[in-house]
Amino acid sequence: MKGIWWKALGILLVLYSFIAGLLGEVPRLIILNESIRVLYYHVPMWFAMITMMLLSLIFSIRALGDKPGADLRASEFAQTGFLLASLGLLTGMVWANATWGSFWTNDPKLNGTAVTMLIYLAYFVLRNSVEDPAKKARLAGVYNIFAFVMMIVFIGILPRMTDSLHPGNGGNPGFNQYDLNSDMRPIFYAAVIGWILIGTWISHLRIRFKSLNHEA
Amino acid sequence: MKTTLKVIQLNFQLEWSERRSYFSILIYVLSTVYLSNLVFNEILSTESWNAFFWVIFLFAAVQAAYRSFHFEADQRFLLYYGWVKPEHLILGKIIYNFLYLLIVALFTSGFFGFLMGFPIASPWAFICVLFLASLGFSAILTLVAAISAKAGNNPALPAILSIPLLYPQILTLSKLSIRSLTGFSWEINAQLLIVLALLALVSLLLSFLLFPYLWRD
Repeated sequence: MKGIWWKALGILLVLYSFIAGLLGEVPRLIILNESIRVLYYHVPMWFAMITMMLLSLIFSIRALGDKPGADLRASEFAQTGFLLASLGLLTGMVWANATWGSFWTNDPKLNGTAVTMLIYLAYFVLRNSVEDPAKKARLAGVYNIFAFVMMIVFIGILPRMTDSLHPGNGGNPGFNQYDLNSDMRPIFYAAVIGWILIGTWISHLRIRFKSLNHEA
Repeated sequence: MKTTLKVIQLNFQLEWSERRSYFSILIYVLSTVYLSNLVFNEILSTESWNAFFWVIFLFAAVQAAYRSFHFEADQRFLLYYGWVKPEHLILGKIIYNFLYLLIVALFTSGFFGFLMGFPIASPWAFICVLFLASLGFSAILTLVAAISAKAGNNPALPAILSIPLLYPQILTLSKLSIRSLTGFSWEINAQLLIVLALLALVSLLLSFLLFPYLWRD
C-alpha cells in the first residue's frame, strides 16, 4: 500500500482507543467491573493477529506459485502475527489474574492460543533449517497453509464444542459483540482497525528493510 | 490406483528388507510402556491410563512415520520422477503409514493393557477411535515426513513440526477414548466422532493437494 494516510489513520485510531478506552463510560457488570476495559487492549490483538496470519497464508499460496518475494512477505506477516499474539496473551494474562485469580487456566481459548503459537514457532524453525531460498519458499509455504487450517480448527471450531471461562461463553457475564454496550462499540472497532493497520505497517517496514538488505 | 498399490507394495518390500526399523518401533513401544509401568508401580486410574496411552502412541507414531521418505531422500527421488505422479505417491505412502500406525496402535494398546490392565468398557468404540487416530495421524505425519526429508537431516524437526498440528486431533481423541474406557454411547458421541473424521479428512485433503508442491524440485 502506498501513501502515508493509512499509517496516520492507524496511529490515530490506536491513540483514540488508548485515551477513550481509559476515560470512556463502561457498564458496571459483576465480576468484570472496570476490567471490562481490557476489551480495547486484548481482543483487538486477536483480530489483528488473524488478519496478519491470513495475509501470511495468501502470500504463502502465492509463493507456491513461484511469485518472487511472496515468501518473504509470508514470513514477515507471520512474525508480526506472532508478536500480536504474544501481546494478546500478555494482556489476557494480566486480565485473567485480576478476574479469574490466576495467570493461566486450561480454558479452551488459552489452549488454542498456546497451540497456535507453537505451530508458528515450528514454522519459524522450519524456515531456519533450510538454506536454499527456493526450497525454503516451497517447504514453508506448504507448512504455513497446513498451519493456518489447523489454527482455524483449533481456535474457531473446537472451543465452540466446550464451555469456556471467557466472557460471553458458558454463563459468564458477557461482552461479546452481540451485547456490546453502545459506548464501547466505536472504541472497540477503532482499536481493531487501528491495530490491523499498525500490524500491516510493521510488516511493511520489515519487508522493505529485508528486501533492501537482500539487494545490497 | 494401480500405481498407488504398487507404491504401497514397493514401500513394504523396501522396509521389510530393513526389518530393524520395525523392530526399533517395537522396542520403543515396549520400553516406554514398561517405563510407565515402573514409574507408576500400581494400577492406574482410567484418566492416567488414557493420558499415558496417547502420549506413548503419539511418539511411537512420530517415530514410525519419520522414516516414510527415508529411502527417497537422495537419488531415489529421481527414479520416481518419470514413474509415478506425486498424487499417487502420497496416497500410497499415506495408506502404507495408515496400516502401519494401526498395527502399532493395536500392539501398543495390547501391551499397555497387558501390563497396566484393561479398563476398556467398550472395546469396539476404542478400536474405532484407534482407527480414526491412525487415519488422521498418517495424513499429517506423512506430509511432515516429506517436509523434513526435504529440509535435510534435523532429527528434531518431525516432532516439532507434527506435534502442534496434531493437537486438535489428540484433544478430541483423548476425550473420545476416555469415554470408550468408561462406557460409550454412540448417540451422544456421534458428534465428536464426526469432528474427528472431518479432521482426518481435512488433513488427508491438504496433504494430497500440497504434496505435489513439495515434490517438484
